[in-house]
Amino acid sequence: MKAIGIIFVLLALVIGVMPQFMNCSAQGRAIELPGGRTIPMKCHWTAMAAPAVAVPLLIVGGLMFFSRRRETLLALSLLGAVLGIFAVLLPTYLIGVCASDEMLCNIEMKPTMIFSGVVTLGAGLVGLALAGKSRPGLFTDAAGSD
Amino acid sequence: MNLIRLALRNIAGNSFRSFVVLLCALLISGMALTTGMIVSGADNSLRLAMDRLGADIIVVPEGAADRIESALLLGHPTQSWMPASVVDRVAAAMDVQAVSPQLYLATLSNASCCTVSDMFLIVFDPRTDFAVTPWLEKTIGGELRLGEVIGGTDVFVPAGEEKIKLYGYLVALKAKIEPTGTGLDRSLFLTLETAREMARVSRTKAEKPLEIPQDSVSAVMVKVRPGCNPRAVALNISVHIKGVTPILSPDMFQSQRKELAGLRNGVVMALMLILVFSVLLIGLIFSMAANERRRELGVLRALGATRSFVFRVLLSEAGLLALYGGVAGTALTILAVMLFRKLIIPTLGIPFLVPALPMLVALILGGLACSLLTVMLAAMLPAYRISHKDPSIAMREQGHDCPGKCHQSLPGGQEESCRRSAASQSGDCAWRVPGNYRLFRLGEDHAAEPGCRAYPPHSRPRVI
Repeated sequence: MKAIGIIFVLLALVIGVMPQFMNCSAQGRAIELPGGRTIPMKCHWTAMAAPAVAVPLLIVGGLMFFSRRRETLLALSLLGAVLGIFAVLLPTYLIGVCASDEMLCNIEMKPTMIFSGVVTLGAGLVGLALAGKSRPGLFTDAAGSD
Repeated sequence: MNLIRLALRNIAGNSFRSFVVLLCALLISGMALTTGMIVSGADNSLRLAMDRLGADIIVVPEGAADRIESALLLGHPTQSWMPASVVDRVAAAMDVQAVSPQLYLATLSNASCCTVSDMFLIVFDPRTDFAVTPWLEKTIGGELRLGEVIGGTDVFVPAGEEKIKLYGYLVALKAKIEPTGTGLDRSLFLTLETAREMARVSRTKAEKPLEIPQDSVSAVMVKVRPGCNPRAVALNISVHIKGVTPILSPDMFQSQRKELAGLRNGVVMALMLILVFSVLLIGLIFSMAANERRRELGVLRALGATRSFVFRVLLSEAGLLALYGGVAGTALTILAVMLFRKLIIPTLGIPFLVPALPMLVALILGGLACSLLTVMLAAMLPAYRISHKDPSIAMREQGHDCPGKCHQSLPGGQEESCRRSAASQSGDCAWRVPGNYRLFRLGEDHAAEPGCRAYPPHSRPRVI
């Protein structure tokens, strides 16, 4: 379970940090209005929203690393899996990214967030399965490692 | 408890060791699958691109072959011209069945008059074309009219609009060609008539007018008569027509093929290194695990488990870890390759098309087999060694063979050897007698044991 906690922390860092450098605004691209004013594109808002998923995931990962109670681990795994789903939904349905397939956000940011989200979801499900199998109370294994 | 359940419990019993082995298996299967997917995807893509071009020979201006190949393969627009008279001269060459000229154009960079920047435009003549027109008749049941275009699979009309703007001229996307994984997927095909109209409109509506040089073409597609040797025809063209380079269809994309071969060799080398290091690492982990678990496995043997059962338990553990790691690696690799394929193409400089399903299944099975074989191979020797340990020896910690030698005289004059089981420091010694195990410790008087003679070099065993 500690390994899953570490995986959550690493994925939280990827989800929170990478979009800040992979969105079109970070590359100096924005929509220019007729008046000369520029407004950020969709991918910018996705990048802004990414920490809202990453920070809770970071906390979940940290708590998983130190927790030993089965019920706590079950809840944290479930929360991690849900956060993984949101990491996938942010660039696909909830906010989205720019329309052109050739833009950086479509080539790098969106795949990174989807990949990290799916791995988070998978790790959360594995955590659920492992925690669910253990005996009620303390989560310990034969080696007593976690 | 059956074999698999016991193996699963053992896996859960040491999560760190299991995690490391699983990670190795994941890396192996992922690396093997990535190599297979990229290489077969690139091969597939090159073959489809050549089929799409549909010519036996492509005649291009001298010195422009690499640029045109790169444009067709990666979609990097290029413009190169040769006199239109070349078309007639090529048509007159021996064994040439049909010729058709093509013009290569490009949209402007970051211009409001073009929907897409730097898009490669392939202009064909529907009167002579034998590559695009037959496909059009099959799919849309006719020819392209003025203002109509067909696009690669990645070309789309922007949301909220009905047409694509090229040099201020609006064109309708009539159909899309099947994916090839090359630059053709991001290119537009239009007729000569549409291109000329676009050039006329661009003079007033584009940021920069489109210039199509008079009496010039970019390439000539050549179809050779059935039964004739295309290489001989290409040689004939290069000898008799100056200033052009004929490229044979099988020789197309040679530079990319060389790059692909280099990439393949590099990745296969990396894969082999990973395999070797993984075998060593997993072997080491299993050796350590086997040493740690001597007592546990010894108890298993003492309880009646056969050597073969212990061996199978250990191999089942390795197999299950390899399978879990392999499945996870395969899933992650497919996900990553599918998601990042648009990044892979420009980064590696090769075309890429996800292999067809049967090929993909074969590659997945290959990746899984690779991880299974590697882990099983690495676990084989430690599993064999520990399963063949004497249980009484195995149950002692950190044992190795006794430097001394003692024998038990059995009824009938037989003698059985005794081996030191535990660490030489502790001086334990296991003495096997029929149907039982008796443990001795060196340094004590051994003579008390009836019928036993001991010959330790430094001291004698005792009954404990």
